[in-house]
Amino acid sequence: MAKPLLELQVSLIEHLTSGAAIFGGGGGSAPDLEGIDRALLRVEARFSYAKRMEKITAVLPKTFELLGSGDTHVRAFVESCPPTTLSRLENACQFHRFLVSCWKHEAPDPPYICDVAALEIACAKVDADPEHDSSDRATGADRAHRGHIRRCPNVILLPCTYDVRPIFEPGSEKAAPAKRDTPLVVAMPPGADGPQVFQVVPAIFDLLAALNDWTNPQGLDVVPDFAKLIADLVARGLVEVRR
Amino acid sequence: MGGQLPAVGIGFRAAIADWTRANLDRFDALEITVDHCLAGSRSLRAAIFDLVGRIPLTAHGVGLSLGTDAPLDLAYLDEVAEVVERLRAPAYSEHLAFTRVPGRETAALMPLPKTEAVAESIIAKVRTVQSRVPFPFLLENITYVFEWPDSKMSDAEFLNLICRETGAGLLLDVENVYLNATNHGFDPRAFIDALRPGLVREVHMAGGVTISDGSLARPLLADSHSHPVPDAALDLLAYTLERHTPSVIILERDDRLEAGDEILDDIARIRARVAAARSRKIHGEALVGAAG
Repeated sequence: MAKPLLELQVSLIEHLTSGAAIFGGGGGSAPDLEGIDRALLRVEARFSYAKRMEKITAVLPKTFELLGSGDTHVRAFVESCPPTTLSRLENACQFHRFLVSCWKHEAPDPPYICDVAALEIACAKVDADPEHDSSDRATGADRAHRGHIRRCPNVILLPCTYDVRPIFEPGSEKAAPAKRDTPLVVAMPPGADGPQVFQVVPAIFDLLAALNDWTNPQGLDVVPDFAKLIADLVARGLVEVRR
Repeated sequence: MGGQLPAVGIGFRAAIADWTRANLDRFDALEITVDHCLAGSRSLRAAIFDLVGRIPLTAHGVGLSLGTDAPLDLAYLDEVAEVVERLRAPAYSEHLAFTRVPGRETAALMPLPKTEAVAESIIAKVRTVQSRVPFPFLLENITYVFEWPDSKMSDAEFLNLICRETGAGLLLDVENVYLNATNHGFDPRAFIDALRPGLVREVHMAGGVTISDGSLARPLLADSHSHPVPDAALDLLAYTLERHTPSVIILERDDRLEAGDEILDDIARIRARVAAARSRKIHGEALVGAAG
């Protein structure tokens, strides 16, 4: 009796997304695929792999420049993290998680590549964020919380060890980032075409980190001109005020 | 083709969004990938929906995986329906292919075994799509590198059967027909001839590359959407236009997008084939009229 179609489809996709089919070498046998030209399957596997890597590279271009073309991580990534979605961002996040796991037991080279990759992922996540509803509007019992503030949901806080921002500036590809703690915030200010990266002083970084939920600003009035500061953070799309 | 000429345009791509807007008057329509509206960046979504009302848009999907032998993602289809409505697109198209199985996804479109049993399964799925997305549904023929050994039907028989049973139309990818015919050794004109009259509602055109690999029996044409449309594919378009009356012809380009002049040149070459086919048709009708 012929195998169910889904079983054949699973065999095919498992084979096409395997390191053996993409890069050659052993371990690529797939008995369910008897009768299909192996050379053609290898071509198909490489097409599929190339499309996936294009997506990942589009999100992490600077990271890939730093990794270099002969990077050995890619094959290990393909073999341990098969694609689970078509999404460009999800594939890039999968690769980023893989790199982070590698960097736990081997020194990143160059050392600032961790911050570069984290910043690229953060920008992609902020850019991908779906338009959120007017969740800043207080309703019912929440009305007592009008005027409370919180960090905008689509803001990512990134404590970097290197100041990698020059790497992203045009014409400064060769610049070696300075090693210094650099608290970065990635956000989409109102009206902006794309995500923007701000460096903030540690006190503001800590304030933003503390504003996970609606908070009464009265209890935070720790600096002079606090109201002006909050207005500035609102204008930059970092903080929202409950209306 | 005695009536209205088909609209000619390109598939909208984020990387050339500004260029596309600057050249909008060169196109009659743009094709939007619905998945970009669902999962694209905020800026991409804004750029796409900003086009509504400025130029006719068609809706094309890549994320359904119609051919996976598992239940369809109904939530996805509901989201597609909302996008198609928002785009004011006249139809929604998807590939007759599969891209995933539970837990694993390949970015490439895989062929299906062309058997009656598989056709029956696809027919049921197309009906589900039609019930969830209340717009005309078009199936697109894909290019395939390999064939399933148990395929029993020709490409045209498979498409005709599914479209006849469901009322779905065909988004005919002429480049795919050309590539498949070259790679697998069949007559592309016979394929076009075998399609039921009236089946072709939209057309895709593209240009690819040739892959020469020592392990392959012969060079393989690949649908890379990266180069000018080959003359042979344009000839096949002209042949198609003598037999079918699509409403839209879309040029697909996904690589070497910086070559804007090539894209515009392809559009001009497609328009020339459309005009020539119309002229031949009118001339032919006049001769028939005079003889009658």
